[in-house]
Parts: sequence; structure tokens; C-alpha cells
Amino acid sequence: MIAVLGLIVGVVAGLLVRPVVPTVVEPYLPIAVVAALDAVFGGLRAMLDGIFDDKVFVVSFLSNVVVAALIVFLGDKLGVGAQLSTGVVVVLGIRIFSNAAAIRRHVFRA
Amino acid sequence: MGPEEERGGTAAGPGEPAEGTAPVGGSPSPDGRERLVRGLWPPRVNRNQLTVALLLFVLGLGLAIQVRSTSENSPLRGARQEDLVRILDELDSRTQRLEEEKRTLENQKSELENSSDQAEEARRQTEERARQLGVLAGTVAAEGPGIRMVVDDAAGTVEAHMLLDAIQELRAAGAEAIEVNGVRVVTSTHFTDGGGGIRVDGREVVSPYRFEVIGKPQDLEPALNIPGGVVQSLEKEQATVSITRSEKIVVDALRSAKRPDYAQSSSQ
Repeated sequence: MIAVLGLIVGVVAGLLVRPVVPTVVEPYLPIAVVAALDAVFGGLRAMLDGIFDDKVFVVSFLSNVVVAALIVFLGDKLGVGAQLSTGVVVVLGIRIFSNAAAIRRHVFRA
Repeated sequence: MGPEEERGGTAAGPGEPAEGTAPVGGSPSPDGRERLVRGLWPPRVNRNQLTVALLLFVLGLGLAIQVRSTSENSPLRGARQEDLVRILDELDSRTQRLEEEKRTLENQKSELENSSDQAEEARRQTEERARQLGVLAGTVAAEGPGIRMVVDDAAGTVEAHMLLDAIQELRAAGAEAIEVNGVRVVTSTHFTDGGGGIRVDGREVVSPYRFEVIGKPQDLEPALNIPGGVVQSLEKEQATVSITRSEKIVVDALRSAKRPDYAQSSSQ
């Protein structure tokens, strides 16, 4: 419950405060958000499976974000930023889907 | 449901590591849905929840910022440099293409305008020419300055060749349209003697003979009046001739243009 509240508070804060994102970070933000979403879905699935561990969740969340941003950064430097970020989004999307399927099986038993 | 929840709550309470192992440890294992419900309600403040809440707060923040900047600003914001360069290139070439198209269309437009102007001018000139030729051929009515000559032949002595002489004289003096007693005089007009009067193009005309002539009056009248000319020779035949100048002579007798049977245009 507290976690859900945290998400809601974050969204509201983002909409109200309008923080200015430094231009350096700007290209990596969307990818980082997708990576974090992946981590959150993974965590939700783990919780439903009963194997949730907060340490694992924190590490996977942060490493997901960092690795995703790093890949995009590297891609930009190599001149294949657009393709690499597409690849990252595809991979994360697939993972999110499979996690969502597991969650669905738990919640709806179908 | 109630006791289960109770047990689960206590199980989760003492130690987090036990959470994974607790269901395995014999008690009826709570399935995913129950775990979800238990996690949501009642709200418990423990390390798990707080950590996850913190991370989810960050996620929500990033999500909101990203959504906001995507929807608020133009899609160009946040685009990578190479993408921007590509977009710029595309816009440039598109602009060039459109400029070219504009030029082509403008050329076409001016061409069309010119040609339609030319066609209009040609049509106008052709019409003008048709009118002029119509006056000469007698297919259209004409009006303008000229003279009116009346030859009163009470004695009946005037013959066709005398009228023909008068016509010739008028033509030589620059007459442009002539009508005799309602008969238009054109190039093919002929005068013959016949019956009580004179036939003009086969139509009988009787005295007095009225000539309606369009031309320059100052030229036409002296031409008829020269010594030994038309007027004198007519008067010798006891005919009376009166000539009046007029600023407006109307020659409205018409004749149809005859299509030539044998003669063909040799130009072209």
C-alpha cells in the first residue's frame, strides 16, 4: 500500500513541480523509465510468487536503469543510438510482457 | 480467509527472509492473489514497503516528467542530435522540392495567362477583320459619313451603263459601301437594261435612283461633279441629279456571301 502511494505521489509530484531535467540526462530518461518499469513488474511478480526480496528489488531496479542508460549512451557514442535504444526497449518490453503474464496467472488464475 | 490473513501477517512480521520460506513450511500456502491483497491492506510500514515506495516514487517522477515533456514540448525536444540532423536534412530537401514545384507551377501559370491573352487578341483581331471584310462583301450593315445621290430620270433616258459609270466613279473616289434603291452594290454587282427601268443584280429598280454611299464626302462629291463627269453626262440626258452630304449614311441592305465554286484561295 505504501508502495502504491509512493508511485502516486511520484507521479503527482512530477506533474506539479515540473522539475527541469538537465539536457545531458534527457535522452536517457525514457529508457531509464522503461527499465525501471521492467524492474517493478519483476518485483511484483516475485511478490506474487512469494520470493520477493527488497534487496534484490533495489539492486535490480538500479542496475536496470543504469545499464539501460549506459547502453543508450554507448550507442550514442558509437552512432547507433537510435537502433540500440530501440533494441533495449524491445527487450525490456518482452520481459515486461512475460512478467505481466505471470502476474496475470496469479491474480486471475488464468 | 480471516485466519489465513492473520497468520500471513504474523508470518511476514517477524522477519523478511522468512517470507519466501514460510509458505513452504507446511501452513496452507497463500497464493498470489492473497499475497497481493495482504500487501495492499492493511497498510504496514516496514522496510520492504518503504524501499519499494521510494523506488516507485522515483519511477513515478521520471514517468511524469517524461510524459509531460513529450506531450508538452515539440517532439524535437529530447531527440538525439543525429535525429535532429536527419530531420533538418529532410526538411531542407522538402523545402527545395516544394520551391521547385512552386516555380514550375508559376511558370505554367504565366504561360497559360500569356497564351490566353494571345488567343483573346487573335480572336479580337479576327473578328475585327471579319467585320471589315463583311462591309466590303456586303454581308454586314455599315454606317458612316458619306453622300446621298438621287437621280430623277423623268424622261426614262438613263441607261445601265450610266449608273455603272456613276458606281465606278464613286469607287474610284474611295466609296466603301454603296446601296442603290435597296440593293447592295458589291464586287459582283452588274447593271443591265430591262423593261421600264434598270436591273441591278437582276432586281429591277426604277427612277428615281437613290445612291447611298459611305466614304469621304469631300472626295465623293467633287468626283461626281467634275466637268464632263457623271453628273454632267446624266444631266445631258435630261435627268436631274441632287447630291447631299451627310455625316451619317446607313447602308443596311445585305447580301449573302456566296461560296465560290471554282476559285480557291491560293495562299497556303
